[in-house]
Amino acid sequence: MSEILVNKLTGTSTAGSILVTGEGNSTTTNLQQGLLKMWADLSGGGTPAIDDSTNTSSVTDVGTGERRINLTNSMSSANYMAIAGMINDGNSGGARGAAGHHLGTQATGSVQYKTMYGSTSSSDGNLTDSHTQEGAGIAGDLA
Amino acid sequence: MALGEIKADTLTHSTAGSLATNFVVEGSAKSWVRFNGGTSVVNDSFNHSSFVDNGTGNYALHYTNAFGNALYCGQATAKEVADTSAVNNNGTFAMLYSYETGRIQMTTVSPDGNVRDGQTSNLTINGDLA
Repeated sequence: MSEILVNKLTGTSTAGSILVTGEGNSTTTNLQQGLLKMWADLSGGGTPAIDDSTNTSSVTDVGTGERRINLTNSMSSANYMAIAGMINDGNSGGARGAAGHHLGTQATGSVQYKTMYGSTSSSDGNLTDSHTQEGAGIAGDLA
Repeated sequence: MALGEIKADTLTHSTAGSLATNFVVEGSAKSWVRFNGGTSVVNDSFNHSSFVDNGTGNYALHYTNAFGNALYCGQATAKEVADTSAVNNNGTFAMLYSYETGRIQMTTVSPDGNVRDGQTSNLTINGDLA
């Protein structure tokens, strides 16, 4: 079995572009474009904390159900792809349906998202901290 | 072996450990898109060929290079909108359906369950390329 000992991968023609042969053994995919540039797993609740992550410097508790993850290395623009999710637990009473999330402000140095109730009549869209775990990730171009 | 091509089963960093290269191949996102559902403008993307607006909150996202099967993993999220129709109803949830090798479809809804256009909408796909 072959093994490469290396601390850094750099493209020969373009430093930031390396092709990887895909599973079908013919089509190639771009390594840099396919990598998440940030991911984070956080303990939810009223005081969010980063449990594990890459390329994060801190998390800011913006308010109930609203967090901002700050990046160590910034993105080149705010037009990156961002996803977020949350565990549907912590039902502390009252109507609670499908838990969800939506994105708030995206900036080159941080991404912000919110966690909320789903369709539960009186609680439609209310922001919530009543869950124990959430996560987020972004893909795009580093600065 | 072609110039500039390395074939290896494992990558090893001096301090951070080793990674089998199948994790590089299989762990990389094969497509991602960020778009505005209201204006039908794609802001940035990877392995994405075209965007079709099928109506309010309903979109088809096509791939440049197709997948080997339709059993791939899709994740989507959308940004809140400035909706004034109901208090706390500004969030937007994203759902995926019609997984095909060459495209996927996405719908966005408000927390009260009504379909509507998302503003910033995001999609990422992991799976096997053809």
